[in-house]
Amino acid sequence: MNESTSTVTAPGPAPAVIAAAGEERPPDAPLNLRPAARGPAANRLDGAVIGPTVGTVTVVDPVFSCRDVNVHYGAKHAIRGVSLDVGKRQVLAMIGPSGCGKSTFLRCLNRMNDTISGARVTGQILLDGEDIHDPGRDVVQLRARVGMVFQKPNPFPKSIYDNVAFGPRLHGLARSRADLDELVCTSLQRAGLWDEVKDRLTQSGTGLSGGQQQRLCIARTIAVKPHVILMDEPCSALDPIATARIEDLIDELRESFAIAIVTHSMQQAARVSQRTAYFHLGSLVEVGETDRIFTNPRHRLTEDYITGRFG
Amino acid sequence: MLEGHISKSFDGELAGLHIRVLEMGGLALDQVRAASRAYSEWDVHNAQLVVDREHTLTGLGTRIYDDQLTLIALRNPVASDLRAIIALAKIAAELDRAGAEACKIARTVLQQSGRPGRGTSSDARHLANLATALLRLSLEALDQMDGELAAQVIDRDQDLDAEYAAGLRRLLTRALENPLRLDVTVEAAFALKALERIGDHARNAALQIVTMADQVTVRRQPAS
Repeated sequence: MNESTSTVTAPGPAPAVIAAAGEERPPDAPLNLRPAARGPAANRLDGAVIGPTVGTVTVVDPVFSCRDVNVHYGAKHAIRGVSLDVGKRQVLAMIGPSGCGKSTFLRCLNRMNDTISGARVTGQILLDGEDIHDPGRDVVQLRARVGMVFQKPNPFPKSIYDNVAFGPRLHGLARSRADLDELVCTSLQRAGLWDEVKDRLTQSGTGLSGGQQQRLCIARTIAVKPHVILMDEPCSALDPIATARIEDLIDELRESFAIAIVTHSMQQAARVSQRTAYFHLGSLVEVGETDRIFTNPRHRLTEDYITGRFG
Repeated sequence: MLEGHISKSFDGELAGLHIRVLEMGGLALDQVRAASRAYSEWDVHNAQLVVDREHTLTGLGTRIYDDQLTLIALRNPVASDLRAIIALAKIAAELDRAGAEACKIARTVLQQSGRPGRGTSSDARHLANLATALLRLSLEALDQMDGELAAQVIDRDQDLDAEYAAGLRRLLTRALENPLRLDVTVEAAFALKALERIGDHARNAALQIVTMADQVTVRRQPAS
C-alpha cells in the first residue's frame, strides 16, 4: 500500500457532492464526476497487444493436443500459431468476434478444412496422441471419432431411424438388426429425443422442429461412438427453450465425451463450459477456467470483449 | 473505468449508479458532521435533524440496491463491470451503516442522558474530525476511482483506532475519579465507539474502491 500522505491534486474543481456540511453549497450545483483516468473510451484497442497466449493452454491427459497450428486460406493467414488442448469429459468454449478464427480452428480438429480449396493447415494436432495429419490416416474414421454438429440442423432426407442408423451401418458398428435398433434407441435417448419420436421413427427427420432436428443431429453424431463432439454455434438457429434443452444435453454429454463448442453467446459459453478460449484476429489471446475468464480475465482484450467494449 | 461500452445506455446506467452512491455519501458525510456538532455542542436541534434525515439515507440505499438488481438482471455484467456493481452496492451499505452510527450519536443528545464533560467533548471532537476526514477522503477516492487515495484511508484508519483507544482510556480514568457520573461515562463511551466505527465504515468503503481500481479481490476486514 502507498503510505504517502502527500495531498492529491484533483484535476479540476472539487466535486459539489463532497461539499462539507455547513458550507455554502449552491442548491442547483451540478455533480461533477471526474472523466475516466484512462482517457477517451471510444477505442480501447489502441495500443492493446495480443502477445503470447495468457493462461494455461494444456490440460492433464488431453484428448486433443494442438501445437503451433497455422491455417492459411490462400494468402490470408486465418489462424496464427495456436496451441491449445481439449480435455476429456469437459466442455471447451471458443469465443471471439466475427472472423477471429474460432470456427476455422474448430474445423481443423476433424480436418474439415481439407474440403476447402486453398486451405493449408500446418502445425501438430494430436488426437489421443496420434497425428491426425498422418498420411495413412483414414479421414472418414477420423470424422467418426470427432463428430460435428453444425449451426443449421442438417438431418438427412431420410427417416428418423435411418438418420441415426446411417453412421453405424457405414462403420459396421452393429452386427444385427437388433443391435442397430438398440443403438438407435440409446442414441435418441441420450439426445433427449426418444420419448418424442419413438412412435414415429419411420417419419422423415426433416419433419421435426428446429430443436428436435438439432437433437437428431446430436443423436446421429453420438451413434458412431465419437471421442469428441465439435459444435459450431449449435443453438444460434433455435428458440430459447430449444436452446436450454440443448445446453442441458451438452451438460449430460460431457460426462462421456469431450466437447468443443464455438458460440457467439458469451452467456452460453459461461453456462455450458468449464474452460473458455478467447480468439482475436486468428490468435488465441487467453484461455482458462470459465468462471475466472468471466469474473477476472487477465488480458485487456478479453476484458474488453466480454464486457462489450468492442465487437 | 465504468464507461467505454458499445452500449451507451449501459454506460449511462453505470454512471447513474456511481452518482447515486456519491449522493448517498454526501448525505452520510452531512449526517456525521451534524451529529458530531450536536454532541460537542449538546445541540438538540441538530440532533433531531440527523434523526429526521436517517430515512432519506436509508431510502437512497434501497434505491441503489434496486438499481444493482436491475443492472445485473438486464445487462448480465461480467468481469470488471460486475465487480464494480457489487462494489458500489457494498459501499452504499457501508455509508448506510456510517449514517446509522451518526444517528446513535444524535440520539444520545436527544435522550439527554448526561452532557459529557470538557475532556470527553474534546476527545469526541478530535475523533469526529478524524472520522469525518476519513469519510470525506473515501468519497473523494470513490469520485475519482483512485486506488491510491483509498489506500490512504485504509492506512489512516489505524490512527483513528489508536486515538479512540487513547480517548477511551482517558474516559475510564475520569470515570474512576468520579464514579457518580457512570451513566454519562457509558453514553460517552458509546459515542466515542460510534465515531470509531464510522472510520471503520470509511475504511471498508475504501477497500471496495481499491478492488474496483486495482481489480484485485479484497476481503473486508473484521471491525476492531
